[in-house]
Amino acid sequence: MATAHSECRIHHIRSPLCVLCASVVKNGETKMFKKVLIANRGEIALRIIRTCQEMGIVAVAAYSEADALSLHVLEADEAVFLGESEPSESYLNIEKLVAAAKSTGAEAVHPGYGFLAENPDFAQACEVSGLTFIGPPSKVIRDLGSKTVARRIMTSAGVPVIPGMLDAGTDMDDLFREAERIGYPVLVKAVAGGGGKGMRIVSRQEDFKEACLSAMSEAEKAFGNGAVYLEKRLESPRHVEFQILADYQGHVVHLFERECSIQRRHQKIIEETPSPALTPSLREAMGRAAVSAAKASGYVNAGTVEFLLDPSGRFYFLEVNTRLQVEHPITEMTTGLDLVRQQMQIAAGSPLTFTQEQVVPRGHALECRIYAEDPENRFFPSPGLVLLHREPSGPGVRNDCGIYEGFRIPVEYDPIISKLVVWAGDREAAIRRMIRALEHYAVAGVRTTIPFLIDVLNSPEFVQGGTHTGFIDRHFARWTQNKEDADLARFAYVIDELSSPGKAAAGLRAAGLPAPWQTLGGWSL
Amino acid sequence: MKYRLNVGDEIPDLQVLKSENPGLLRFIASDREHDVSFKVLGANHYQLTVNGKSTEAFVVSDHQGKHVVIKGRSFFVQDADKLPQRRAGTGRTEDFPGDVTPPMPAVVVRIMVKEGDRVKKGQGLVVVTAMKMETTLAAPRDGRVKKINTSLQAKVAPGDILVEIEEETHD
Repeated sequence: MATAHSECRIHHIRSPLCVLCASVVKNGETKMFKKVLIANRGEIALRIIRTCQEMGIVAVAAYSEADALSLHVLEADEAVFLGESEPSESYLNIEKLVAAAKSTGAEAVHPGYGFLAENPDFAQACEVSGLTFIGPPSKVIRDLGSKTVARRIMTSAGVPVIPGMLDAGTDMDDLFREAERIGYPVLVKAVAGGGGKGMRIVSRQEDFKEACLSAMSEAEKAFGNGAVYLEKRLESPRHVEFQILADYQGHVVHLFERECSIQRRHQKIIEETPSPALTPSLREAMGRAAVSAAKASGYVNAGTVEFLLDPSGRFYFLEVNTRLQVEHPITEMTTGLDLVRQQMQIAAGSPLTFTQEQVVPRGHALECRIYAEDPENRFFPSPGLVLLHREPSGPGVRNDCGIYEGFRIPVEYDPIISKLVVWAGDREAAIRRMIRALEHYAVAGVRTTIPFLIDVLNSPEFVQGGTHTGFIDRHFARWTQNKEDADLARFAYVIDELSSPGKAAAGLRAAGLPAPWQTLGGWSL
Repeated sequence: MKYRLNVGDEIPDLQVLKSENPGLLRFIASDREHDVSFKVLGANHYQLTVNGKSTEAFVVSDHQGKHVVIKGRSFFVQDADKLPQRRAGTGRTEDFPGDVTPPMPAVVVRIMVKEGDRVKKGQGLVVVTAMKMETTLAAPRDGRVKKINTSLQAKVAPGDILVEIEEETHD
């Protein structure tokens, strides 16, 4: 006898309750989650909570000791304590997060970005526990997480990759032949590498063997694996990425590009869309490549295909970020879509409700990352007590922020305070708007990147759109605070001292100075 | 009244004159007069008008000085005449040339010297980490490690003296 049950749209399992994702299947309709656990902290957790609440989904926060008074905990509908501040005891602890989701009755887990967002074991742990992981299937995360597997998938799908080797090796003669084939300059990279360890740039044939040997020995020491592979080294490339959305029904669309060339320590600090470097035909070609990349890897949910673009307009696949990207708001501003809502709907098994042709971006959006760090001191982190925090507002301004006045920014986590995002009709107007917003963003108590960002946005190099990944090193390596308003600051100091009599008198006593004012004409000395 | 206010190690003389109008002050800085009218908008919030141009300023105090934020830029202002009584700030390195303190709140992850060690100026002494980034605190001068006041995994802040270096005595 045939059963009356339809199959789960996600896993194609015929049952009243899909054993893999626990999504309730009724007459082919997939129901939205009632409760979601957010396995993250700070501004991104808050960002996800907001969409949950707008969708009528109960948002459950998870938090560590250091975050008991964090905004994401205060704003969530429920909150679960994970453990000590150490990430391994909290936001990186798969067991605790899965248990937190199960104990609160959450049906799905949103990983945010960072922490476990691109950890295939976490996605898998959710899958086997009957929780829906709001992101791609664990196998896809695993495949795309390996540099060489990802390169192989893209090559077979006809997506251009940076010329180089598909397999790593240790044989010097092989490596030398490959270097000759690729052409100098080449990049020697440890297959198990990261953080610049086991990496060398070689510009001349005669330097190759020595550089390669030292990279291999460094990789052997650091990772226990001396294997390296070679890649063509691109000069002054731009970092251009495409947002994609893919559903379980096999539809894939891209939501156009984001240019993220302005970086410090290989981390983005200013992003914009559209990219000033793309022509309509190049944009179309890269968008097509991004969709092919997603299809070739079996991608589902929101993701980002990153490319390097060289000055001649050739682009190369870099990697796929299998998660919501930090800079996703600029895409939301130009497309009018809520990407977190799209992620929820896709994860619940719904098909995309629009086609590629229906995605029409408008205007220009910029994002500045406001970090608690000292731009005068090599961007060293500046955690601590936030004494003052006044956010900018006005037309076209959005601030995705995870802190508040009186909050103590913990030393254990990423130094991001907020993402200031603006939208305007064109690039020039967006830059002016961002400068206005930054000049109205007042933070004291911790150092921030705000004054640095104001100067970058005002620079002719940025205004002309000539951005590349070496931009900060080339133009702003020795940046110092503009002292133009230092006298105004001194005036304000005195005014504050005089306007708070209690404080002023105490200050004078402490300094052993006489307080009274001597009269001199209409003015007192 | 005279002030010597330090912003970024610049301490120009500043004279302040009061007027009969409580919302008007005259500042004399580098022999130039500035009449500054101001309004108190809130506990930390002021509007200053200088030569007809108005600016919003936020001022918050901590135990070392005042943070003044003007047009998105934060200035740390300290009264140089009060500094000697305070144990931190830019003035302190001259008083304690052999002390090593972290630039930001951080956690100690490595200590590379022990008490009694001879060190050279610029030599790494302690590695601290904050928000996933490590930085090495180096010896500010040649000398001998007199005292180590910290331990692994200790949470430390600017002003905490992690390592004391004394002049080497030649016997």
